[in-house]
Amino acid sequence: MAEARVAVGEPVISVGDLHKSYGSVKAVDGITFEVGAGEIFGLLGPNGAGKTTTIEILEGLRQPDSGEARVLGFDVAHNPAAIKERIGVQLQTTALYPRLTVRELIDLFRSFYRRSLPTDQIVDALDLRERVNARTMELSGGQQQRLSVALALVNDPELLFLDEPTTGLDPQARRSLWEVVGGLRRRGKSILLTTHYMEEAEELCDRVAIMDHGHILEMGTVTELVRRRFQERTIHFDAIPALGDGRLGSLPGVRRVAAEDGVTVLYTADVPASIGALLEAATSVGQEPRNLHILQASLEDVFLALTGRALRD
Amino acid sequence: MRTLLRLTVANARSFVRDRAGMFWTLLFPVVFVLLFGLIFSGAQNPRYQIGWVDLDGSAASAGLRQAFARVTVLDLTTETTEAAGRDAMRSGKLSAVLVVPEGYGAALAAASAAASTTAAPAGPAVSLTLYTDPSQQQTSVTIQQIIGQVVGVANQALTRTPTLLGVQSKPLNTENISSTAYIVPSILAMALMQLGLFGAIPLVEQREKLILKRLGATPLARWTLVGSNVLVRLVIGLVQAVVILGIGLLLFNVQILGSLVLMTLLVLLGASTFIALGYVVASFVRTEEAASQTTSILQFPLMFLSGIFFPFDIMPNFMRAVGAAMPLTYLGDAMRQVMVNGSAFAPLPVDIAVLAGWLVACLAISARFFRWQ
Repeated sequence: MAEARVAVGEPVISVGDLHKSYGSVKAVDGITFEVGAGEIFGLLGPNGAGKTTTIEILEGLRQPDSGEARVLGFDVAHNPAAIKERIGVQLQTTALYPRLTVRELIDLFRSFYRRSLPTDQIVDALDLRERVNARTMELSGGQQQRLSVALALVNDPELLFLDEPTTGLDPQARRSLWEVVGGLRRRGKSILLTTHYMEEAEELCDRVAIMDHGHILEMGTVTELVRRRFQERTIHFDAIPALGDGRLGSLPGVRRVAAEDGVTVLYTADVPASIGALLEAATSVGQEPRNLHILQASLEDVFLALTGRALRD
Repeated sequence: MRTLLRLTVANARSFVRDRAGMFWTLLFPVVFVLLFGLIFSGAQNPRYQIGWVDLDGSAASAGLRQAFARVTVLDLTTETTEAAGRDAMRSGKLSAVLVVPEGYGAALAAASAAASTTAAPAGPAVSLTLYTDPSQQQTSVTIQQIIGQVVGVANQALTRTPTLLGVQSKPLNTENISSTAYIVPSILAMALMQLGLFGAIPLVEQREKLILKRLGATPLARWTLVGSNVLVRLVIGLVQAVVILGIGLLLFNVQILGSLVLMTLLVLLGASTFIALGYVVASFVRTEEAASQTTSILQFPLMFLSGIFFPFDIMPNFMRAVGAAMPLTYLGDAMRQVMVNGSAFAPLPVDIAVLAGWLVACLAISARFFRWQ
């Protein structure tokens, strides 16, 4: 077996100026990033952004045109076999062998690897005990997805690739899969995942990279990305006609006033000061702001600002 | 090797649990054998329904009826009038109607009395009327010939002419090759062709559903994946052979006259060639639907121009040329030769060489053009 080449503290994935074209289409156009050990890293972007190509290069399924990509210390161009032995991959496949049972399929995948976890341990980790003798075609969407994560875990990989793990799942099944990923994080696994769901990235990812047209537009923690783009937060409340826009606009911290469907929105750089002044002003006209709440810009807003379109087009 | 075994078991399980697939690969050829077997074994001894209309009612006409009744393939039904006979024919109960005219006995007696004194007359003394259906050409021609022969014999008896020249017909084949014996190896060849060719469909499906990609992301070697698919299909091919040949032997007594080893090798070679052809199809179509359509369309010329069901003799020349290029022609021909000593389209080594050639060509094309994702 090939020697582990990742020293403590070194990245599990390092990509430098990676390029890949299909004919005249530049699917990946010079991207650079690193994923640290134990980190959950999210690749976000619309369809065709280059996420899948990037992941497939890292999984050893495609050769890059130029640039460097190292996974667990191995060069993907020269050592894909060693990488495949030590990574776990989950794709958006439906049923692999629909007529095999859960146990049979896990056993089959175990036979592909030199080293593997016991089937029962994997079954329990993914909460599939009750369906272990069911044919995979009979599983619900959420169970199918848990099975595909289970198959990614059979070789006890150090690094996992999850490709849109919760696409098509209902909110409950999505939550349950997030818990599985959380458990993996606690066990020190490194994960590279792609997703269409901003809340998923906000919930799971330590860091994210936003991709479009083969480029990485921005990279960092979710909070960093939001702060970098949106220093303002917004204060929302039901409109109070006695308070004119002019008076609201002169409150401390407020930079802009907007009205949407009977709701007034104050854009502010200093929430406590603006809130205090708003309450005083409202009291002075004998009212109190109703449905008062404060919102922060989300990753969705960052994405919209960067690419000019919503993520789930 | 452990992985190959595991994957092969997984593939075999998937196949056995797929009811529809089981039907098409195992039961369908069996149904085919039964159907063809019954049709052709029925055709061995056809019987013809003949209406007998006797307008004379004499001892002579009754004697003639006895002569016809001795012909085993004819079933005589007495009809009272010509019109009744024709109606029965129109309604499909009879294949032909034979009418003995009024005055038949008297005319024969007069003619034979005259024959002893004067020279033989130019035309017949009296004629029977035979109604046949031109739309049933083969049946009509056969009936006309049989009745012509009976009448000829009757004439000889009446005129007391000795028989000088006779014909004794004998089957040419060294062994008795029935139509069923011809059809059993043909159906086996067809089943192997479908087994391999239709293998393109799950291949394309696995690629379309990213299953090949998912397996590609494991350390599983590609040759293991291909090897296990081929292995499963070869085993299924052997099972098909046992089932089809078993039914041929048990129900229709079609024996394998040649070497069993050679027959097994032919099954494996034929299956391999068509499995490779399946990979060629999978190399050029992208969707499962297209794969299913392409294979369905391809199987028809393979089946009908390869001489496995229709002999080459009845085909126009250009069709024969197409058939002579097709692998199924040679598989069917080789199996027929080994199984029932049927007449050869090509010598056995040529059959095997052509099949092997197709196999190599298909392998080369697949190796060059097959895409994993």
